Amino acid sequence: MGNVLIATDWLAACAGCHMSLLDLDERLVELLYHVTFTSSPVTDLKHPPESGVTVGILTGAISNTHNIEVARRMRSRCTYLVAVGDCATFGGIVGARNLVGTQAALRRAYLETESTVDGQIPDSPELGRPLDFVTGVGDVVKVDIFLPGCPPRPDDLHYVFAEVLSGRIPVMLPRENFRYD
Amino acid sequence: MSTITITMNGQKVSAQPGQSILRAAQAAGIDIPTLCHHPALAPIGACRVCLVEVAGQRTLQPACTFPVADRMEIQTESPKVVRARKFVLDLIFSERNHFCMTCEMSGGCELQDLGYRYGLDHWAYPTYTQRFPVDASPPHHLLDHNRCVLCRRCLRACAELVANHTLDLRQRGANTMVTADMDAPLGESTCVNCGTCLNVCPTGALVDKRSAFMARPPDVERVATVCSQCSLGCGVNVVMHRGHVLRLESLWDAPVSGGLLCRTGRFEALADGRPRLLEPVRKSKGEHVPISWEAALAAASQRLGATAPSRLGVFTTTRLTNEAMGLLHAIFVRHLKAAHRGASHSAAPGMTACRCGKLADIADSDLVLLAGSDPAQDQPVASFLIKRALDRGTRLVTVESRPTELTAFAETAFPPQQISKAVALARAAEKPVVIYGADLTPTEATALRKLEAKAVFIPLHPGVNTLTAETFELNGKMDAAACDTLFIAAGEENGTIEAVTRKAGPKAFVIVQASYGSALADRADLVLPMATWLERSGTFTNTEGTVHRAHAALTPSGQSRPDWDILGRLAERLGLDATIAKDAILTCRV
Repeated sequence: MGNVLIATDWLAACAGCHMSLLDLDERLVELLYHVTFTSSPVTDLKHPPESGVTVGILTGAISNTHNIEVARRMRSRCTYLVAVGDCATFGGIVGARNLVGTQAALRRAYLETESTVDGQIPDSPELGRPLDFVTGVGDVVKVDIFLPGCPPRPDDLHYVFAEVLSGRIPVMLPRENFRYD
Repeated sequence: MSTITITMNGQKVSAQPGQSILRAAQAAGIDIPTLCHHPALAPIGACRVCLVEVAGQRTLQPACTFPVADRMEIQTESPKVVRARKFVLDLIFSERNHFCMTCEMSGGCELQDLGYRYGLDHWAYPTYTQRFPVDASPPHHLLDHNRCVLCRRCLRACAELVANHTLDLRQRGANTMVTADMDAPLGESTCVNCGTCLNVCPTGALVDKRSAFMARPPDVERVATVCSQCSLGCGVNVVMHRGHVLRLESLWDAPVSGGLLCRTGRFEALADGRPRLLEPVRKSKGEHVPISWEAALAAASQRLGATAPSRLGVFTTTRLTNEAMGLLHAIFVRHLKAAHRGASHSAAPGMTACRCGKLADIADSDLVLLAGSDPAQDQPVASFLIKRALDRGTRLVTVESRPTELTAFAETAFPPQQISKAVALARAAEKPVVIYGADLTPTEATALRKLEAKAVFIPLHPGVNTLTAETFELNGKMDAAACDTLFIAAGEENGTIEAVTRKAGPKAFVIVQASYGSALADRADLVLPMATWLERSGTFTNTEGTVHRAHAALTPSGQSRPDWDILGRLAERLGLDATIAKDAILTCRV
């Protein structure tokens, strides 16, 4: 395990970006000589350590108040924040909700679906409150690197890791290292 | 014209005076990105993506509209320029829905290409919240205002190319929207559904309904061919994905149409719902029984060879290729000397002594005299070309027995009796063009011949390859009732052909070569399945007399075969010398 600490977390996401990270395959082993993954949604430790990490990775869109909390926590505990995937950069598939409006989306999902019987829109105080508008992470906290893609290809993630580990924060991603869909 | 020298990115480049910086750069192979600019449209400098640095100019200038001058120094990709372009793109992306992942155009979008080129990995401004409507009221396409970047290409195409002036803008600033007429839904507007706007839209705002989301733009292939819906011969690109036709697009470098297509040519040519004929069949005891091609051709040649010329009839659609018509001529006119010959359409009366013009001559004329023809109905692209000329000041005079769509644009519409007045107006004009069709009466033709010395004559023949059918003497006297054997090359023709052949006696042996099932095919004693226009190559002689080459985009369905292939094999069966057919084909190219 290397000495650069990395923490990942997800917001309103489908887990596809994390799968893409695992798709680094044998390069993941090579990467682990340089970094230590402290926490992620797919490991036992979920939250980034209070002592902080060098690189924080967020996938998923800001869709509810809980997502804002998670994003702010990650921001406060990392030196460089990387927003990975279309949802984290633009709102992505989750942002499609913006085309119909949050209330209409909730009604459709929980009440009006053809298979629904006695449906109810969840309103437990333990749940985050859905926002009127879905946005990318950049609308809530400062992001250092945006990597769009649905999901970003493993090669694109590898490029970003290589840059950051070399001490560089790319100002503009080369054309071949990102995509919008 | 003298050439001037300018400096672009430190490189000396030759340019023509008056040329825009963009054109000079393109000629020199220097890439300046554009968004609102389209080569077929007049530049308006609306989007500011093509901004360049011109030495001595206070601000950055749009390359598409800024003219070059001698010794001008231009930077096309300096840090200042790149910064400005990125800013412009940030602003464009900050309005409306530009999520690529749910867009039909992703992979073929000019806005997306620019986003990649300038590294737009996130949105610089807060997510845009205003929602715009989607207008899906037209029959074949839809307009999603949320994807629109207000480049105005569609409304310029509607005005400059089609001269239809349906589209315009309404509202101001971020609320600006493309609108039809006085804010009517497109489907209820004056839109003629030619779809030219689909061909110029840089984003996914204007989308073809039939093919939307069926394939990503980078995965499609295109085959250039000639439209076979009327006698103009417009260029058309068949857009395909894995052997399936998605849609038709106009071809910008097509000699006749130059990027235009009409509703029929772009949309309805693909909407044929009739069942295909996929195998040769023969009627046996009142039932259609599938047989092999060999057996079908043997039966056909035997029957044709055994029929007396006076009892033999041939009837053809005008949609066949020159090659097929040449073969019909070789088989039925020269070899079998069939007494009865007919075609689905007759050509406009010959004005043989006259100078026959090209459709392009309309643009240079100062007066168009339209007689015996309804191009808005029969050859819509010709009506676009006429209206385009009218926008530039050309006058239109019509001679007609009933009003057409173009009547509203005419300076004067004369009834047929007053054709001499129209002729007098044309004679007074400087460069008159006479456009005439098959409805011209002999009296009208005589009156128009008085313009022989002065005017350019452009015939608009009904049907498709009508001129060739006429050249090959396929359109003569036809009495189906007097035929023992009838060979009907119906092709893709619909009901019109059936009316003529319905007169055939119950005992007549009917051979039908057709693509689609119909009452005619049901009546046939022998059916030869024919490939459609998308499935066969060949040549066409259009209404101006120029020859256009069609290319097959698909392989023929089932056992169907191209028109010329079937007739070529039939000729062989009949023992014809192959060169006879070849000679016939070559004659029609002269």
